[in-house]
Amino acid sequence: MTRPSSLRRAGATALALTAVAASAPAADAQYPTKPPAAAAVQPAQLPPFQEEVLPNGLRVVLVENHRDPIVAFRLVLPAGRLYEPKGKEGISEMAAGLLTKGAGSRTADQVAEAIEGAGGSLSGAADDDFLALTGSVLADQTALAFQLLGDAVARPAFPDKEIDLLRTQTLSALQLEQSQPASIAARVFAAGLYGDHPYGRRPTPETVRAITKADLTAFQQTRLRPRGGLLVIAGDVTLEQVRALAAQHLAGWTGYPAANPAFGAPPTRARPEIVLVHRPGSVQSNIVVGNLTAGPGDPQVFAAMVANKVLGGGSDARLFDILREKKGWTYGAYSSLARPRGTGYFNATAEVRTEVTDSALVELLAQLRRLGNEPVPATELENAKGALVGIFPLTVETAQQVAERVAFVKTRGLPGDYLQTYRTRLSGVTAPTLQVAARRWVRPQQALVVVVGDGQKIHQKLAAIGSVRIVTPQGDAMSVADLTPRASAVALDVSRLAARRDSFVVRVQGNPMGASVYELAKDADGWVVREATTIAGGMIQQNTTLRTDASLAPRALEQRGKVQGRDTKADVTFAGGRAKGAAQTPSPQGIKDVAVDAELPAGTLDDNAAAFALPLLRWAPGAKHVVSTFSAGKGVAVPLTYEVKGTESVTVPAGTFEAFRIEQSGGDQPIAYFVTTAAPHRLVRIVVANQIEMALAK
Amino acid sequence: MTRRSRTRLAGLLAVPLVAGAPLPATLAAQQPAPAAEGPLPAKIPLERYQLPNGLTVILNEDHSAQVVTVDVWYDVGARNERPGRSGFAHLFEHMMFQGSSNVKKGEHFQLVERAGGSMNGSTQIDRTNYFQTLPSNRLNLGLWLEADRMRSLAVTPENLKNQQEAVKEERRLRFDNQPYIGTVLLSLAAAYDPKTCFAYGHELIGSMDDLNAAKVEDVQAFFKQYYAPNNATLVLTGDFQPAEAKRLITQYFGDIARVDAPPPVQCDQPFNPGEQRRRVTDAKATLPATFTVWRIPETKHADTPALQFLATILGQGESSRLNKAIAREAKAALGLQTFLNAVGPTRGPGTFGVLAIANQGVPADSLDRLIAREIARIAESGVTEAELAKAKNAYRASTINTAQTSLGRAEAIHHATMFLGDPEAVNTDIRRYLAVTAADVQRVAKAYLRPENGLFTLITPPEAPKP
Repeated sequence: MTRPSSLRRAGATALALTAVAASAPAADAQYPTKPPAAAAVQPAQLPPFQEEVLPNGLRVVLVENHRDPIVAFRLVLPAGRLYEPKGKEGISEMAAGLLTKGAGSRTADQVAEAIEGAGGSLSGAADDDFLALTGSVLADQTALAFQLLGDAVARPAFPDKEIDLLRTQTLSALQLEQSQPASIAARVFAAGLYGDHPYGRRPTPETVRAITKADLTAFQQTRLRPRGGLLVIAGDVTLEQVRALAAQHLAGWTGYPAANPAFGAPPTRARPEIVLVHRPGSVQSNIVVGNLTAGPGDPQVFAAMVANKVLGGGSDARLFDILREKKGWTYGAYSSLARPRGTGYFNATAEVRTEVTDSALVELLAQLRRLGNEPVPATELENAKGALVGIFPLTVETAQQVAERVAFVKTRGLPGDYLQTYRTRLSGVTAPTLQVAARRWVRPQQALVVVVGDGQKIHQKLAAIGSVRIVTPQGDAMSVADLTPRASAVALDVSRLAARRDSFVVRVQGNPMGASVYELAKDADGWVVREATTIAGGMIQQNTTLRTDASLAPRALEQRGKVQGRDTKADVTFAGGRAKGAAQTPSPQGIKDVAVDAELPAGTLDDNAAAFALPLLRWAPGAKHVVSTFSAGKGVAVPLTYEVKGTESVTVPAGTFEAFRIEQSGGDQPIAYFVTTAAPHRLVRIVVANQIEMALAK
Repeated sequence: MTRRSRTRLAGLLAVPLVAGAPLPATLAAQQPAPAAEGPLPAKIPLERYQLPNGLTVILNEDHSAQVVTVDVWYDVGARNERPGRSGFAHLFEHMMFQGSSNVKKGEHFQLVERAGGSMNGSTQIDRTNYFQTLPSNRLNLGLWLEADRMRSLAVTPENLKNQQEAVKEERRLRFDNQPYIGTVLLSLAAAYDPKTCFAYGHELIGSMDDLNAAKVEDVQAFFKQYYAPNNATLVLTGDFQPAEAKRLITQYFGDIARVDAPPPVQCDQPFNPGEQRRRVTDAKATLPATFTVWRIPETKHADTPALQFLATILGQGESSRLNKAIAREAKAALGLQTFLNAVGPTRGPGTFGVLAIANQGVPADSLDRLIAREIARIAESGVTEAELAKAKNAYRASTINTAQTSLGRAEAIHHATMFLGDPEAVNTDIRRYLAVTAADVQRVAKAYLRPENGLFTLITPPEAPKP
């Protein structure tokens, strides 16, 4: 938003307008034709910290800065992923989100109103080790900040409505993650790297559904305690004020968190291991390569940071330059170091075209080895150090940034002069010290390699590089044979097909947002499937006409749609075992053009026929069918697995039905279909990615 | 290359068109906002001087962080364009990253990145800015990069061709292919008559035809005219020694030649020209919408603070009047938002806009009536003290937050200098805002948001093809 302004003050400017240059240029001060050299780096001048332990045991670090009347704060408590009970993964993040959604005497709306009305902010989040509440207020509202913080940690209400809302949002986010290869790769990488150590565990839909209000309350009661916690305050406030406000608003909050649970050390790896996450139909491969490193206070950490910068810390680094600029294999390739309180890790990532997966991985591993085998040339070293040393002051400019940095130092148990000496220690890294550190911090010979991609296309190539373990995106083991699932010759009982029309209500996160109509009609050559969907008042629209033969095998597809104002379409004809045509389909990067020219295994159905085809399969508890399914958006046919996961009573506008819950896997997102157990087996409900539901209306 | 955003048109691109997210059905009981009295931002000390070639320099020495910002504003924007040459100011912003005598194409980014800094540029209706934030020991780099392109920009046919395509692509992606935004931008310009006020009566991004027609000679002439030291202001904020900074500024900028002053900007445009209504079809829209623009005075006018708070109270945030009454209660709109000067502050006439996107089945004109009713409520009964206090707190906090960074301070100093006519206003302007009364807000609502002062655009989606 542009900064608004006020009237001009009457009269002339208060400033004298000196119409001469401040000083005459010296005779030798010619205009330089090369970038001027950097001036010397001055020692860091961070404001001094004051530190004390409040009577209730909470450690407070105050960074006074009275230039601007603003106070930033960060309350950090040991209540992150490390402390989540098994089976309740995700509870720290949910608790963090809910602490500000109703606490003390305020409802969620009132908390938001209070903080916004005071020109401030307050939010919660959790990571590997910690749960943190972060925010800022105008200095005259510091008391309000303490009141809201005290209420949040000691008196959260965890209202059912807010729990349900956040749970729904969390489930949606998890489902979205499952459709994004980079997220799948990160999750599988963490699990492989840390094994059963809590850093490697992640929430799943099951664990998020299992979290109850009682669990949240117990987590808050046992973990959110002042002893062992840290409150960093930066800005226009004094230690006396902090003491007084804490006495008023945090005094009733006492005690220790529960003892730390015991957990095993992360696994060690003697040789490289490749985990292939099979994602059928993937046109690219997401590669993650990495290894465990050391604790956050390791003496080699500065050399390791420079090594990481040289290798992949941005667009001015080796991986980006080689994999993207020189080879053109990828849009970006980067590396990073993670520094939690316990053992951290190094990793390098690249998203590459499927056909260059093996070349890119070989190059990536070669670059990792090179870091330990060759000294970094002087210019490259200076550029990397220059960028790291240079950016540091930009990261401690505001009170909020200072509070975050100080909290990092304190929670990692780093030395008191860590920030003061940060730049000099980076500057002191030499090519030999970098090389020594790289051998310990970047270990391709013991790396975990995760590749998310189409296993059918890349498995053999990866097997030539190292031993490969194959898993599904959910992490379940697969065999090489599973990569080519035999789409069974589908036993569709087409004698049960009859012209009809089904209307569905579309709900998004439980709210009615649109309608979808499916119609099946007979024509001279077989069947015509018509579908019309409108969601969110037309933000999403789709009209489909699919012509099939008498056994529902596709002949021609015509689809027109709009997603938030962008046109989507598909025109595909099916003949001689091939699909040909073109599609424009939504993707996270916008509308994507897909040229369709694909071979279709016998028995392939178009995904638009699923609503009519599914009820024709033979269903029983435990039944499983693999159906080769063409999707115009992907431009290929992939085998989709449909499996009965139970029987449920389903209530939709059309009535209440006993139905098989049939889960589809192998596609981009999980879909659950509900087909009545009784004949005529009707499809009464579809749930896409846990967030979009279609319920039979009539 | 698209690896980072290098250019942006101000303001409007940040329009958060509220998606169909479910809203809480009722508002919880409101707690009174605390009174908007309290500490003011710290004083920003300034020193201003001018080089013999006319370059205005303003220094804000501040050693609270080891950071400097070098921020150059050129007094050129869409308002300086002539008929047939629309879009030049923005096209030019792209050209400024194509290299100069001593800086190769792409090297500007690389040099700043290797120094640990950040940089960008943007175009508004009244000005174009270029800035880099750097660790303080690289002050010389920031100054030199700005000096090199001011003295020797590479305006070559290849670079021009290249950037014409980049700008056209930007236009397609960000305006032509997005619902409502193109219509909104056109409407903002349409509030003013291009015959008497071309400066404010044409689109910031420019027409495709004009962009296609741009010749390298035109662009060279534009550079010579507007990218001269006497048409620029250099603001330096942060951790530097003034004597050293002045020495570098003289060395790098001192011998760049001044040029004749650019022709003055003409705009002859009355308020209240009579109610104007029009209907447009937006090819990318799927829901009806309305966009209304009312004419308001220049940014330094005494009524601007009250207009700012009117915009906040009426249509900024979930608890604003329009969102409560029309989106949450009447459920007639998917989302509504007000804009004060959506394409940047001005020294000429400004705009007050309201964009509302209807819910399915709600015709645009009935949405328009609902908005008119809410405006009438403020004109007749005013706003509450609690609403005003909340708006003031938000403004005070945003002013203080802005001043926390060297870039924020540099932009605020430029703003005060160009739009309020006095750099010192960066320290004093907030008092005008805190002095606004509820009666002031009511008065400006009555004075400016009246039908005969507005341009009402009803936006309809294209008709659905008949089955």
